[in-house]
Amino acid sequence: MNPSTPLLVLAVAAAVGAVLLNLLLRKQSRGMLLVSAVGAVSGAVGAAAFMVPLNFCTFEAERDPVDFWFGIGLSAIGILAVTGLASWVLNSILQRRRLFEVQSSPGAFRGSGLAFLFLAPTLIILVLFLYYPFIDTFRLATLLARLGIPRTAFVCVDNFTRLVSNNDYLQVLGNTIWQSIAIVGFSIGLALLIALAAYQPVKGARIYRALLIWPYAISPVVAGIIFLILFNPTGGIINYALQSAFNFSIPWLNNPSAAPWAVIIVSVWKSLGFNILFYIAGLQNVPKDLLEAAAIDGANIFQRFFRITVPMLSPITFFLIITNTTYAFFDTFGTIDTLTGGGPLRSTASMMYSVYEVGIQNNDLGKAAAQSIVLFIFVIGLTIVQFRTAGQRVNYGA
Amino acid sequence: MRLKNVLLAGAISALAALSIAPAIAQEVIEIPTWIAFTDAGRLGWTQERAAEFNAAFPQYNVTVTGYSNYEELFASTALAAEQGNLPAVVQYFEVATQDARDSGYFTSIAEALNGRTEVNGIPVNLDDIIAPVSAYYTVDGNFTSMPWNTSSSIMFTNLTMAAAAGVEAIPTTWAEMDAACTLIMAADNAPEYCFTWPNHGWFFEQWVAQQNGLYANNDNGRADRATEVAFNNEAGVALLTWLDEQAAKGHLYYSGAQGGDSWATVDQAFSTQQVAMAVYSSSDTALYTQTGVDNGFEVVASFLPYNEATGWTGNIIGGASLWLTAGLSEEAQDGALTWLLWLTNTENAASWHQVTGYIAIRNSSVDLLAEEGWFDENPNFRVASDQLAQSEVTPATAGALLGGFPAIRNIVTQAIDTVLLTDEDPAAVLDAAAAEANALLEEYNLLNAE
Repeated sequence: MNPSTPLLVLAVAAAVGAVLLNLLLRKQSRGMLLVSAVGAVSGAVGAAAFMVPLNFCTFEAERDPVDFWFGIGLSAIGILAVTGLASWVLNSILQRRRLFEVQSSPGAFRGSGLAFLFLAPTLIILVLFLYYPFIDTFRLATLLARLGIPRTAFVCVDNFTRLVSNNDYLQVLGNTIWQSIAIVGFSIGLALLIALAAYQPVKGARIYRALLIWPYAISPVVAGIIFLILFNPTGGIINYALQSAFNFSIPWLNNPSAAPWAVIIVSVWKSLGFNILFYIAGLQNVPKDLLEAAAIDGANIFQRFFRITVPMLSPITFFLIITNTTYAFFDTFGTIDTLTGGGPLRSTASMMYSVYEVGIQNNDLGKAAAQSIVLFIFVIGLTIVQFRTAGQRVNYGA
Repeated sequence: MRLKNVLLAGAISALAALSIAPAIAQEVIEIPTWIAFTDAGRLGWTQERAAEFNAAFPQYNVTVTGYSNYEELFASTALAAEQGNLPAVVQYFEVATQDARDSGYFTSIAEALNGRTEVNGIPVNLDDIIAPVSAYYTVDGNFTSMPWNTSSSIMFTNLTMAAAAGVEAIPTTWAEMDAACTLIMAADNAPEYCFTWPNHGWFFEQWVAQQNGLYANNDNGRADRATEVAFNNEAGVALLTWLDEQAAKGHLYYSGAQGGDSWATVDQAFSTQQVAMAVYSSSDTALYTQTGVDNGFEVVASFLPYNEATGWTGNIIGGASLWLTAGLSEEAQDGALTWLLWLTNTENAASWHQVTGYIAIRNSSVDLLAEEGWFDENPNFRVASDQLAQSEVTPATAGALLGGFPAIRNIVTQAIDTVLLTDEDPAAVLDAAAAEANALLEEYNLLNAE
């Protein structure tokens, strides 16, 4: 590598950081020189945070263009993060505020030292069992590492950038997205309908409700095994019933168009109970007087449902969308593993399942680490999008 | 105060117990053994043998721990090695042989024996082990690991169904399979499909080896480290073309399950008589024979059908072997060797065969079983031994030694999945699979380069 490359990268990062911090603190009247200096340092530190562990390998001349742009992106994230932090600290110092200000109320402890002491057990556990492995995953993702081989080799960001041209991974990405949307959509929609029915004051309503919630208590693995037997192409009862009633059968597990629906059906069935539980609770909180008033004003049953009940349930729907999406991304793993093993033709392989295949079945730890980071970023992004879009229209009541 | 005293006394006695414990343990040498079985039949049998061994050799204490499958055991072994906690004996499946050699965790049996003909009075006599088995585990002329559970791929036929359809002789070649299937599918009360097999990488390897086709270069990795796979040769393409044809004709049932998941789908199809024939491992001969008895049909085991265009050279073994950990003390190593030799002696190898259907790996065990009339009473149990005994040992039938083989198997079963479920050309699919396998092999070899 050209020895001036790191210097050039850091210089550019410093310049970007200086400009950025000036932009962030443009309302401050004081010391443009100080702000620029701090910005330059934080820009350089931000870029170095990613580039020093990588040894600036993405900017080597013999690398692919995609590696170069990946390096630019990583540096940009580092610069943004550190400069943002610097902006907050500097702003606090310039305005003579304390960094961790606790709003003093009567009886509260002074200062934040004691608070951190009380938090220490949690923080230590988080650092040891969550943050350290998490950061180590980044290190592992830059390596060619196989389980059972002591030696590893540094491969720069290949584990990430090769995913872009990996058609199989793109298919997995597509599977995950459309199957998750289907699971979340069907599960929440059906749960609302069933909850409406179960909420009716009929004889033995409690028993029906308990029976409806029941499948939720079954683990995804067991659900997969139960349906593996039910869906079995040669001896399963579902095809037997279809054959007897309609004289056709569906090759559930060995046809790439049918298999994703088998996974979706099981996952929806499995998560339905949880959603029904929340919707029944939610329905009990829909004010009766509002519904009555609407009925007196001549609103028909559909208008009352769509104009009153659905908006009043929106906090629950929002909560369910988030939990169900997490379920569709992560917890369907057990179902997929027992029901289809990701096949046929990889039609049911999700991102989570792919991490397992690469890391556990094929012992390729480096590539699995990279895929798990992609999955992590995906879920973070999804959560942010959900908070941004759904959060605005959620009615949390007065 | 009294509570404090009690606690103190408790702590002291616990410490005392801890300090005495090693003194007691020094008298017997621990021989932890990890195997990949959890079922009562196989883990239970091994634990019973361990108890017998401990009684016969009180200076040793063998403890047998079961893991649910080979992959999990492989991972646990790697983690134990990182922590410096390896047991004395570990079971690795046959295709992990190269990985086991490269890992540096193990020492070869021949090296540990160092020319001795007996250990603790147990004769070594490795020449007694049947040829294809010892060929597989002999690497660079060095007997590497102790063969234990060894199987061969065979076929089970529902004779009741086949005979009713007018099939006169059990098919031995691909062409005869096709002819028999045509008859079976045309019969009254025809099953849903004619035959099935587990889409597990092992069967692809078997069918390629039968045609004397290589799986990897450098004589299947036995002359020198394999650097490229060779399975996209004529033998591989011929097999996938045949399977594709049989699936298109409605003869072959493919459940869509691959690898470890595929076995159960075959059990289910055969026992419910949705198929007349099942290609399977001899390891479950007892189970398949009993399935017929339970469901009222006769089950006959036969050799794995071969490609009549190339003829039959032989079959590769399957199963697993027991590896001896490197860096044991001399006493512990001798103890582990004694245990391995005793576990696979004539009587135990014969008993293991009768309990499971894994082949009896010693010629003397086969003779013993024949003398007892076991094979006359249980002809299905003879098939796997005969198939291996009649095999000609060539680089192809000795089996490939290949780094990252378990992962490469997954690439192959994926290729078969693609051929059976799409219209893609078998040769093109195999070429793509070979390219993927070569990339993996290159990475593996990079990490293990001298």
